[in-house]
Amino acid sequence: MKKLNRRKFLQGTGLVSVAGMGGLQLGFANTLMNRGSGAAGQNLMVYVFLDGGMDGLNMVPPRSGSDYTQYSSVLRPNLHIPSSQSLALNGQSAFGMHPSAPGLAQLFNDDKMAIIHATGLLEANRSHFEATKFMELGTQGVSSLSTGWLTRYFNSSVHTPTDAVMPSIVPSYGNTDAVLGDPTALVMANPQEFSLSDGHWAWTDTMQDILADLHANPETLEQLVAHQTLNASDIIQAIDWENYTPGNGADYPLSFLGDQLRTVAQLFKNDVNLEVAYVPTGGWDTHVGQGTGTTGQFADLTSNLSAGLAALYQDLSATHPGQFTIIVQSEFGRRAYENSDHSTDHGYGNPMFVIGDDVNGGFYGQFPGLSPAQLFEGGDVEATVDYRDVVSEVLIKRQRNRFLGYIFPGYSDYMPLGIVNGANLSPVYETDYDPLFASGFD
Amino acid sequence: MNNYAKKYVGVKAQNRPPKSISPFGKSPEKSQNKSGLTPLASPPTISGGTLATPGLSYRIMSKMAFGPNDADLAHIQSLPGATEMDKVLAYIDEQLEPQLIDDSAVDAMLTNGFQTLNKTQQQLFQEHQHIPGGGDIPWETHIQPGRETIYATFIRCLNSKRQLFEMMADFWHNHFNVYMEGDNIQPMFVHYDRDVIRPNVLGNFRDMLYEVTRSNCMLSYLGNGVNEQSAPNENYARELLELHTISAKNYFGHMPWQDVPTDNQGRRTGYVEADVLELARALTGWSYDGASWQDYQYLYDPPVDPNEAPVGLFLFRGDWHDEGVKRVMGVDFTYDSNDPEKDVNDILDMLAEHPATAEFLAYKLCKRFIADEPPTQVVDQVAAVLHQNWQASDQIQQAMEVLLKSSAFLNTWGEKIKRPFERTIAAMRQIEYGFHFNPQNEYSNWHYWGFTDSGQMPFNWTAPNGYPDTKAFWLGASSNMSTWKYIQWTSRFRDPDNGDTPVNNIINITTTGIPVAADRTPNNIVHFWYQKICGYSPTNDVQNKLAEFMSYQDNTNPTPSDPDTAVDLNSNEWPGYHQERLFAVVSTIFLTAEYSYR
Repeated sequence: MKKLNRRKFLQGTGLVSVAGMGGLQLGFANTLMNRGSGAAGQNLMVYVFLDGGMDGLNMVPPRSGSDYTQYSSVLRPNLHIPSSQSLALNGQSAFGMHPSAPGLAQLFNDDKMAIIHATGLLEANRSHFEATKFMELGTQGVSSLSTGWLTRYFNSSVHTPTDAVMPSIVPSYGNTDAVLGDPTALVMANPQEFSLSDGHWAWTDTMQDILADLHANPETLEQLVAHQTLNASDIIQAIDWENYTPGNGADYPLSFLGDQLRTVAQLFKNDVNLEVAYVPTGGWDTHVGQGTGTTGQFADLTSNLSAGLAALYQDLSATHPGQFTIIVQSEFGRRAYENSDHSTDHGYGNPMFVIGDDVNGGFYGQFPGLSPAQLFEGGDVEATVDYRDVVSEVLIKRQRNRFLGYIFPGYSDYMPLGIVNGANLSPVYETDYDPLFASGFD
Repeated sequence: MNNYAKKYVGVKAQNRPPKSISPFGKSPEKSQNKSGLTPLASPPTISGGTLATPGLSYRIMSKMAFGPNDADLAHIQSLPGATEMDKVLAYIDEQLEPQLIDDSAVDAMLTNGFQTLNKTQQQLFQEHQHIPGGGDIPWETHIQPGRETIYATFIRCLNSKRQLFEMMADFWHNHFNVYMEGDNIQPMFVHYDRDVIRPNVLGNFRDMLYEVTRSNCMLSYLGNGVNEQSAPNENYARELLELHTISAKNYFGHMPWQDVPTDNQGRRTGYVEADVLELARALTGWSYDGASWQDYQYLYDPPVDPNEAPVGLFLFRGDWHDEGVKRVMGVDFTYDSNDPEKDVNDILDMLAEHPATAEFLAYKLCKRFIADEPPTQVVDQVAAVLHQNWQASDQIQQAMEVLLKSSAFLNTWGEKIKRPFERTIAAMRQIEYGFHFNPQNEYSNWHYWGFTDSGQMPFNWTAPNGYPDTKAFWLGASSNMSTWKYIQWTSRFRDPDNGDTPVNNIINITTTGIPVAADRTPNNIVHFWYQKICGYSPTNDVQNKLAEFMSYQDNTNPTPSDPDTAVDLNSNEWPGYHQERLFAVVSTIFLTAEYSYR
């Protein structure tokens, strides 16, 4: 039987968006809509990874006390954010927010954001590529795994519907090892270009149909990826990407990050069972030209990040309050002291952010201090919080996945900091977890 | 070491896990999706069929070149030798001596609208980066050398007879990756490609390492141009150890250097954090004229003398250089005022000679040309040649001969996939893409912008580790889809500057390959092109599906007609659009997973 011609099929229905489409010809849309806006489904976890090593000391700068003195006059005489410029955070005197991040300061002051001090890998590693790889694979010092931590998250997620239309998205050009070995994750930078539309008009639809036929019964991983790409294209084309009004008047910045976050929000709101978004965003490796105050590379990046996260929060909370959590992390922090170009080299401990309606706003963890004796190896902010504790709390309380030992091999001492609300399920630490077992085949 | 001891003092682990992971307490969510769409969450099971293997010439052209085309395959057939293997080995010998291969056709193409490829390093700097005496440089001028290098790269990879040379240039560009769109790099990129990378791609690694270390592109990109002794910038030093020589595999992190094991010749087998700092100290003052704000102070000293303008060339800044002893990997390096570059040069010698460097380079080369996880035997062989000949002017050539003549190279198939650039160029080579890339031409710009979404624009990887070289990275839908679209587009692109004639040579290739008009049936056409593109015959199922497509007579009502009745390829009229249909069938084959292997 010939397949329905997708393009004409979609055109013929005159659809605006999946959520907005009516009629029986697209029964799936009704089914999805009848699920409500996610109450019975899974919460969304947006994981934003700041590639390159974000300078947490200037993002959340000390504002008073001996740490401020050390920071502003000893470590960073040319690079610090003066206490007169950093944005005040409610009830906090020790730390402020970078002046280019009013959106983040607002989230904090509205009790929607937690800042966790001094997080990191168990063992310091100043190589971008190693530290990033360990975080993507969810390991400590092991780079030989064939699956990423999010791959294992899904393998062990008993709440993810087996027929979830699009459970995870990586809005990026290239893949990330966080989803290594997961053929269900969609890596897609630009939804508006995500269709085979550049052939000759007379034959372009036929091409897509034939190509789908050729990959209908995949024998190899490469064929499977082609198959999934074509399926994803069908789903993406059923959504109107151009006409989108974000909730609460949210205003995404005109940047790739802004586009990435808007893509996530649009997908989530179209009820395609989106459960995880992994959003990589780069440029944070500020060895030179980092800049001070509200000018320079770091201020630009921060402004973009702050505006993007604030917009995503506003947009999602308008329609899906309490059904999403945003985690922000980088592979490491930067050196506590500035270098000769008034910029910073690679460091260690660094703040993480967790944002959402069910977040208990405030500071968590312990800032280890900036005196020479307190710095790690005399140069870096020490790490005092295992970053896995932060991620795991979201996995358990918001995503209802307690298979921590499988997701993070070797991890066995989960200790929630109280960052988010939700049932604190007992963690399971077995590393040889068999996903088939959880799928009801026992 | 548990770094969190402080935080965890007195805190008891909560929610200790049960011994067993059952019961789960909740069964999996039931189906909630009755859509006509296939859910991504439950993909079909891979049935694990056998991967067909193309012939030897096709295989090696897919691995040591940017894919086969008729001309190069015919050339291999014309080489002396009793067997195909003999001919292929003769071809490898030829490719290892690129200077003996006539490439004048490509040289001619590189004069077509190119204006910066022959400028000196100083001219590039003073005409595209900073005009002596000041003065505005239009953005188009600023980026012109970089953009011309990209067009030159398309031209060379597509057309050069020196295919191995171009593969090697691509390899070393990624090994010594410089992100072209970083600050102040596009004006100088012609220099980086022409003077630093290309002269050494089959030559000597130590020579290339030295040129890289002195190049204003790398000095800008990794910040060493402003590395002063007062507070060293360790960016370049770190990547020099981690990505260019000793490799992350031999990084011991925060550990005293004395604890790093030594080999039987007393070398430290790896490096630690302290070594990064020491190397950063050694590299202080390795800069270029134009890296410092001080180089532009002449503009504020009237009358402005243009002769004082920075020239963009390597500059050793003695007053920035740390003259103390540096101890790198357990060896002390001393400053010599008669030869101020000596300390760094001695360190580069140590790194280039180090077995860890040879092993790392060998592993990466084998990974590029053989498999994501190359067999250790061939890696060891290549590493031994690199190490033993580390001072030889043909060090890399010797290593590549061993690699390319290994059984692992000659006989494996499908261990790699073509990345977007390789997929695109290989498709263009098969259809003998005749577009004239010309920087002055608007349609060249279209080709440039069209390729950006692929995720593999040459010289556009932002991090210093170069484009990933594993299947896993490129098996994402995004690069799949955008590369597919670009191939769709180029397979049918018509040159508006040339009467809208197709730029591809698909019709001619077909009529030459199937010389009798009556034989040009959908079945024969599909078989001919599939064999050509994928290297073996299609399965019956694939043959039938593609032949059905080729048999459609009406685009508005695609129904099959007799697949054994000839198609008139002179016609491109409504509603059958025979020529466009052939282009579409050909590009569909380029979109299959089978084509993606190498």
